[in-house]
Amino acid sequence: MSAFWYYVFTLVFFLFDYFILAMGLNIQYGETGILNFAYIGFVAIGAYMTGVAGMPNAGTSGQHYILGLNLPFPINLIIGGLSASALAFLVALITLRRLRTDYLAMVLISLSLVLYDISNNFIPLFNGADGLYNVPEPFASALKLTTNSFVPFFAGVAGVVALILWFFMSRITRSPLGRTLRAIRDDPTVASALGKGVFRYQLTSMLVGSFYAGVGGGLLIQFGGSFNPTAWLPGETFVIFAVIIVGGVGNNVGMLVGALVVETLLIHLPAFLPAIPGHPGLIEYIDTMVIGVVLMIMLWFRPQGIVPERVRRSKFLLPDFAPSGGGAVIAPTGPAIPTEEAAGAGPPFFIEEKDV
Amino acid sequence: MAQFWLAFGFGLVTASVLAIAAVGLSLQFGITNYINFAYGDFMALGSYLTYEVNTSLLHWNVWIALVFGSLAMGVIAVLLNRFLLGPFARRFQRSFFVLIVTFGLSLIMLNVIYSIWGTNVRSYNMPIEQVLHIGPFLLTRNQLIVMAISVVLMVLVHVMLKTTRLGKSMRAMSDNTTLAMTSGIDTRRITTITWFLSGTLAGLAGTVLAITEGNLTPASGELFLFVIFAAVIVGGVGSIYGAMAGAVLIGLTTEVSAAFINPAYKLDIAFIILILTLLFRPSGLFARPERA
Repeated sequence: MSAFWYYVFTLVFFLFDYFILAMGLNIQYGETGILNFAYIGFVAIGAYMTGVAGMPNAGTSGQHYILGLNLPFPINLIIGGLSASALAFLVALITLRRLRTDYLAMVLISLSLVLYDISNNFIPLFNGADGLYNVPEPFASALKLTTNSFVPFFAGVAGVVALILWFFMSRITRSPLGRTLRAIRDDPTVASALGKGVFRYQLTSMLVGSFYAGVGGGLLIQFGGSFNPTAWLPGETFVIFAVIIVGGVGNNVGMLVGALVVETLLIHLPAFLPAIPGHPGLIEYIDTMVIGVVLMIMLWFRPQGIVPERVRRSKFLLPDFAPSGGGAVIAPTGPAIPTEEAAGAGPPFFIEEKDV
Repeated sequence: MAQFWLAFGFGLVTASVLAIAAVGLSLQFGITNYINFAYGDFMALGSYLTYEVNTSLLHWNVWIALVFGSLAMGVIAVLLNRFLLGPFARRFQRSFFVLIVTFGLSLIMLNVIYSIWGTNVRSYNMPIEQVLHIGPFLLTRNQLIVMAISVVLMVLVHVMLKTTRLGKSMRAMSDNTTLAMTSGIDTRRITTITWFLSGTLAGLAGTVLAITEGNLTPASGELFLFVIFAAVIVGGVGSIYGAMAGAVLIGLTTEVSAAFINPAYKLDIAFIILILTLLFRPSGLFARPERA
């Protein structure tokens, strides 16, 4: 297989993987309004746990890590996802009930740095700063895949996993649970006045979103075969925020578009540019700055993203009561959508628009 | 016991650096009511500006270069507020927008530093210090100067807040911006001055951090950021005196703990204190009740 297709399938893999990661962050921030600045920490836990669940016992390999369960592919991935959820449960228990948005963001970004610090220094856990390597490639021996044929194969696997997770996520966002989450995002006080247990729903959202983070991380470590602390400094969380904001907060299709624009076009494509002579790494630095600038421009000129969140209205809402703009009791307009967006959403009653 | 007092001495140094940084962050938070996640990179950029004047550009003495680096960082902070953060904060009601912009700004500034100065560890051009024995402590002359700077700054901030017109306006704005505006306080001007002070203190803290650590790296400010957050939250967000107290508490505990555990984890102790504070006194030690 030519190098060209190898790169193409690498890009396809990152597209699917960041689609999964973005869906996870979207349910936390986009649907529920939890500003999870530690998101990449959950991705990392998922990656490490998937790695050590799939790797053989550490005794002979020269690496130091816990577990070493030698479990086959889908099971280690699920363990990775569940570990991220378990961490999210602890974090949510301590922080969600007590802190308002910006304090929460401060504590979570600190958490992200502390997780980084610990995994970097505490070698028996996940091999310290060297990170895990020689992570087994799923099905590689069973299907006799070479390094070249593994890449398109695993891009396909990531696509299947992304499709399954997308199916579940679109069910969640369409369900009463999704509506409640958006109500909490738009106004937690109103939601709790209507008898919704805000904390319980936020916790649910954290657990589901972190599961997605863990699975995305698990795919990442199995695709690359290695994972170390430099892969998940807090700046990486910003990249995933960039994906969901550029794509369109609160819209699952937007996540795919955002992953395509930010992750594929802005991050991985410039990696193939030739380095500027005498300035190693300069392209990467400029690339990161470009992502920051693109995000700021996007926030200023099109805060609703490329694919804006759909305005959902209840079919029970009669035309007489239909508001001219958004912001009705049942029609959340989202954090980023100006009210006039609602005008273009079709007849103001008798629609329960389907999300995708 | 000797080891404890040694660590205690280092703790005082860390607390001094931390206090400067935490007060700078708190001042700005009190006025604008959002956290600046790029603060760690303000510190780093300030320390590199000092480095540039100290080593290659003008070969100034590091303490004079420090004044230049800090003031330059103050001016940069004012410009960033004028053209980037201020417009976002005024246009969008939800704090998320300006928070994510400061987060992005942090990434941009870090990569600007990488592009200009590279990833290498650098150090200031200053004479090698001999260690002085003062009571039970072992400190260098530089560390003593840093402590003195910090104490003087804390007194100055206190005097400014309590006695000057500017300080009273700042306290009024921090209590209630709308009410301050209707009382005839020029809130835009106060905001600009606050950003200048915050940026200056950030640049200063970044430089003295690099001086006490003996080297400067682009990411040092970012990794120090959560220790500042810990100090600010433990003291009570938005409270200047809380930030000072939090800095002393966090600075001393992290360094003293390093005498008993692996020093690689000493900063994580700050996070444990942060979590304990959240569990038992979420509004911080000195917070006003309405700010929880």
